[in-house]
Amino acid sequence: MFATAPILIASAPYESTMGLVQKIFYVHLPSAWMFLLGAIICGIASVRYLFKGDPRQDRLAWAAAELVVLFGAITLITGPLWARKAWGVWWQWDVRLTASLMGWMVAVAYLLLRKYGGPGSDKLAAGLALFGMANVPFVYISVNYWRTIHPTTNVVPTLPTSFGVPLWFSAGTFLLLFILLLRLRVRLEEQRARVDALYLSMDA
Amino acid sequence: MGKLLVFLLVLAGSASLDPAYVLLYAQQPPPQQQDEFIPIDQLPPQDQLPAAPMLVAAYSFVVLALFAYLLSVARRLTSVQRELERLEGDVKRGGSA
Repeated sequence: MFATAPILIASAPYESTMGLVQKIFYVHLPSAWMFLLGAIICGIASVRYLFKGDPRQDRLAWAAAELVVLFGAITLITGPLWARKAWGVWWQWDVRLTASLMGWMVAVAYLLLRKYGGPGSDKLAAGLALFGMANVPFVYISVNYWRTIHPTTNVVPTLPTSFGVPLWFSAGTFLLLFILLLRLRVRLEEQRARVDALYLSMDA
Repeated sequence: MGKLLVFLLVLAGSASLDPAYVLLYAQQPPPQQQDEFIPIDQLPPQDQLPAAPMLVAAYSFVVLALFAYLLSVARRLTSVQRELERLEGDVKRGGSA
């Protein structure tokens, strides 16, 4: 899939008004989806951690927050590169862009809190993750309710096959990558938990 | 440092008030006003924004970001794994002693 996606993207037709630069779409949109998916996973895992106190959920939330920062950064960098050519501006303080930036900053705050917050920061960070998750539907539907130059959510369902196939293939590739990175990152946290448990057992 | 900054500011101010500079600025023709629609492909090359560098920059950033993150996780995982093996060895040695 990783080898085929670039070939499909390269062979996709040029969009009539934007031309070559529209091909950023095939990485911008899937990364934005992964960004929102990560925020949802982080939020749900945080809720479960807050109510059940299961450390596995905390580890999952931490791993997902890192992926929110990664895929959010990709979305927020590729978007302006496309916008500069298509809209004539790098950035617009419209609802979707601002809400996306806010969601990304919440994830950055989550990671900073986990790293430098000290004892008890896990619960505080879990609370912060709820704000990140609550922001997701707002990011998604905002373009349909507020006047903005960003395309609405109607674009993807009405895409012709020649554009749709590379997009869905690219989205599938990004999803696989997301799952792979999430599993790796969760494994890292599990190993760290084992190290902590060993240190505690040696002290006892 | 402060004195240098003041000196530079005074120098810049005096340069802008120089009569020769003011005369030169006044002699510059005003930019030509555009009074009709010009299709984008008829614009001079310096006014056209190329698409390829944007596309290359976007895809390069995606590949680099994903690769850097994968590398970072792999390095952290290796380091923790090593620490875990060392600790397990210490515990075993402590248990057998």
